[in-house]
Amino acid sequence: MRGAALLATALSAIAAAVAAEPPAEPRRFALGVELSAAVGPEDRGFFNYTSYEDSTQRLARLSLTAEWHVAERVALLGEVRDENLGRPRVYALYARVRPWRDRAFDVQAGLIPPVFGAFSRRRYGSDNPLIGYPLAYQYLTSLRSDAVPGTESDLVVTRGSGWLVRYPFGWGNSDAEPGLPLVNALRWDAGIQVHVGSGPLEASAAVTQGTLSSPRVRDDNGGKQVSARVAWKPVVGLVVGVSGARGDYLSREVVDSLPPERRGHYAQQAWGVDLEYSRDRWILRSEAIWSRWQTPMLERSLGALGFTAEGRCKVLPGLYAAARLDHLGFTRIDGPAGRVSWDAPVWRMEAGLGYTPVRHVLAKVAYQHNWRDGGRVRERALLTSQLVVWF
Amino acid sequence: MRAARLPVLALAVAAGSATPRLAGAAAGSIRGRVEVTREPPAPQARPSIGELSMPSPRDLPNRRRSVVYLEAAPQGAFEEHEGRAVMDQRHETFVPYVLAITAGTTVDFTNSDRTYHNVFSLSKPRRFDLGRYATGQSKSVRFDRPGVVRVFCEIHSHMSAFILVFAHRFFATTDADGRYRIDNVPPGAYTIVAWNDGEARETRTVRVGEDGGVLEQDFVVR
Repeated sequence: MRGAALLATALSAIAAAVAAEPPAEPRRFALGVELSAAVGPEDRGFFNYTSYEDSTQRLARLSLTAEWHVAERVALLGEVRDENLGRPRVYALYARVRPWRDRAFDVQAGLIPPVFGAFSRRRYGSDNPLIGYPLAYQYLTSLRSDAVPGTESDLVVTRGSGWLVRYPFGWGNSDAEPGLPLVNALRWDAGIQVHVGSGPLEASAAVTQGTLSSPRVRDDNGGKQVSARVAWKPVVGLVVGVSGARGDYLSREVVDSLPPERRGHYAQQAWGVDLEYSRDRWILRSEAIWSRWQTPMLERSLGALGFTAEGRCKVLPGLYAAARLDHLGFTRIDGPAGRVSWDAPVWRMEAGLGYTPVRHVLAKVAYQHNWRDGGRVRERALLTSQLVVWF
Repeated sequence: MRAARLPVLALAVAAGSATPRLAGAAAGSIRGRVEVTREPPAPQARPSIGELSMPSPRDLPNRRRSVVYLEAAPQGAFEEHEGRAVMDQRHETFVPYVLAITAGTTVDFTNSDRTYHNVFSLSKPRRFDLGRYATGQSKSVRFDRPGVVRVFCEIHSHMSAFILVFAHRFFATTDADGRYRIDNVPPGAYTIVAWNDGEARETRTVRVGEDGGVLEQDFVVR
């Protein structure tokens, strides 16, 4: 939080200069509220869990957002979330400044939206046509940031159990804890970002404390993540994005616990391609994310590829149908019984309906089927409903 | 919820001794000014938390424009209309913010922005969803049932507008100075309503004499 505060303070100097100019529009303050509640059966395969306790299929969330335009080109934005009546936490808190009036150049600092990919910046309840998250943004792999596998066997025995991982011969934290997703869509990272362009070509870059899979408010390893995205909009309705990110993901504690010759910096590196095409009553979206984690005790890096494709079609005023196909695959390692993927590949199909009786209410029902090539539960079907109310 | 009164009231026919008639006497006019003293609330918009840049500048809708109408129309006023009107989308704003039409009118929703818009309404008198369409394109909706239709853009949460669909022609939208004029009103007693920004704000009773003439009726909307 201190880092974010420092960045925000630094940005406030620019903001103060910009704010000194008289505002062209009336200063405004906007508040937003989103309440969503998903009710589904117990996910015994932990396909939808985002931690050991929380599943996207059984999630009640209250989200309060605020945007305060303190001047024409300075805004403060924030979001506080409460999930399943737990402790409220700050999801976003940052300053947005446009230093030059006539240039599409913006700076944001604080707890900022991720520049990588497309899904993380969408509002979960109302911008997500279905109830589940794409696997790449939610599914917990068997890799951790506070512990490292000592051998390939450590990974083989934990395949398909990323919701609670403990490496028998690992280093670092020996408690069982959840693993990392490729990209964590439930937390935003602290740092500073710039955005350039407002036409067919836009670019964003950020320097943040954590990584895609482990966003952080407070740095825990002395390394920063650099991420960037270029978006190309050749025609109205078509967006093609290319993203990249690299940052140290292992905590200082686990690195310090390693043998001296293995200590160093271990990065998560990721590339992403996202595509969105919309026209008339259709929206088609697709994302592919390739992530690679360096591991200190294994010969090779561990890779994972997430692919998702979804479509939404409005069939009547207020009623839409949507479907998503998802896959998460992993590179192979040499295990005791031969070559095997370091985590169990997962497939997911989700299809559902959304109905808006009045503008601020959205009711969804979705059927989701999951398959996994490993773990205790290898297949699980879920029928879930969700109610979203927003203002 | 007061806005929901409009369809019922617009359909009502005046009755009793003061029943207005369309023919047989000189028609009059009602004119005046609607002064809106209340400060229009800021347009509703969801905070742009997930954006990477400052939202592009947009126009503010003119929420001081009012519609003045006769609550009970004269007998025989319910003839068919097949007019056409335009509601443009410009700088992420519906223009005009308030459109008053007669039932049977077709409204063209043009898109003058360089981004997609997706006009829709979930109002009972007319539910529709035009989907996403780009600049220079236009899609049309015919409004056959009287009532208040709230119009939104699915992509831009700050965009909204009103379409007031009347079963008769005795209404007028105020001009930039707040002035209105309703012509060809048959003799009789009427309840006249000033509607502003989603609600029927002020109501008056007026009487158009047998010799027609021009009646002055001002309103102050607070």
